[in-house]
Amino acid sequence: MVHISDGVLAPEVWIAGYMVTGVLLAWTLRKMRAYDIPRLSIITAAVFVASLIHIPIGPTSAHFVLNGFAGVMLGIFSYPSIFIALTLQALLFQHGGITTIGINTVNMGVPALVAHGIFKLGSTTKIQRKEELFGAFAGGAAVFLAVVLLSVALLTTGREFEKVVMLIAAAHVPIILIEAIAVGSIIAFLKKVKPEIIGVKA
Amino acid sequence: MRRLIIAALLLLLVSGVACAHRVHIQPEVGRIDIKVYFGGGDPAQNFDVKVYRNVSGVESLYAEGKTNETGWFSFEPTPGGTWRVVAEGLGGHRAETVIDGTVMGGAGSITGEVPLYLRVIAGIGYLVGLAGAATGYMGWKARKGVENDSVP
Repeated sequence: MVHISDGVLAPEVWIAGYMVTGVLLAWTLRKMRAYDIPRLSIITAAVFVASLIHIPIGPTSAHFVLNGFAGVMLGIFSYPSIFIALTLQALLFQHGGITTIGINTVNMGVPALVAHGIFKLGSTTKIQRKEELFGAFAGGAAVFLAVVLLSVALLTTGREFEKVVMLIAAAHVPIILIEAIAVGSIIAFLKKVKPEIIGVKA
Repeated sequence: MRRLIIAALLLLLVSGVACAHRVHIQPEVGRIDIKVYFGGGDPAQNFDVKVYRNVSGVESLYAEGKTNETGWFSFEPTPGGTWRVVAEGLGGHRAETVIDGTVMGGAGSITGEVPLYLRVIAGIGYLVGLAGAATGYMGWKARKGVENDSVP
């Protein structure tokens, strides 16, 4: 789920996906420095293997995405991170297609950028345990948004939209909850042991 | 950074037992039965299946239907030609395979696949290489800076 295979979308849709991904990669990579890459590699490794953990739900199965986790941990560099992870997944697992790497990166990477925004904005509030709360919210919201974007992409195939959205969304409820809890817990852990990693002053 | 590595490693460990979401089609002999399943073996239920028959380069739709709850779909072939089977399902999943005479003769299994754990190691290897290259570059720059500073 969330990864669209080759041959499903019309060429104009996946070409548009590559164009959007190209623009976002150019923007984010211009800001990247060499010292950002080791951290990016570690988080990308987690995103790369996350899709291997999947839960069969009804007639389909849903897997972990970790795009919200990438967004919170990497900020705007989550976009190139997800692009690399999806490229490796497509080449090594045949998970998703080659033509659809661009659109799949949009579907998972844009929510990662939104998750980064949610976490950053949340961190400026005065709420108690704001990092944990907004981290969890960002983690869950990113998966939900990925499902919405996937559904919009599939809408262009002109079939079964409402049924698909409902089924995909339902299949992802456990994933959304688990990822929210996971990201919130990781943030709580990092806040305690290494707060500067998540941009919190000790 | 060390704590971050530990957190990431814990995530990686949790994922070690699972399997990919790849969609497969496994042909078998006789009345042609095809099984559609996700990586890891979960059956792909209720997938739309279309079977195309190719005779001398001319392809036509031969049979269509849906997989059952165990991921199976069957059709009775006419001798001659090859068969292209396309399975599509919920959420943008799609797989395609061609069944030719050799498969119909009894060799109905998909072979030559690299084990999943090796593919996981390969992917992580690329990422370690990327991190290593960046670290090497930083080291080279730092060294260059020190050398430049030492020049009077």
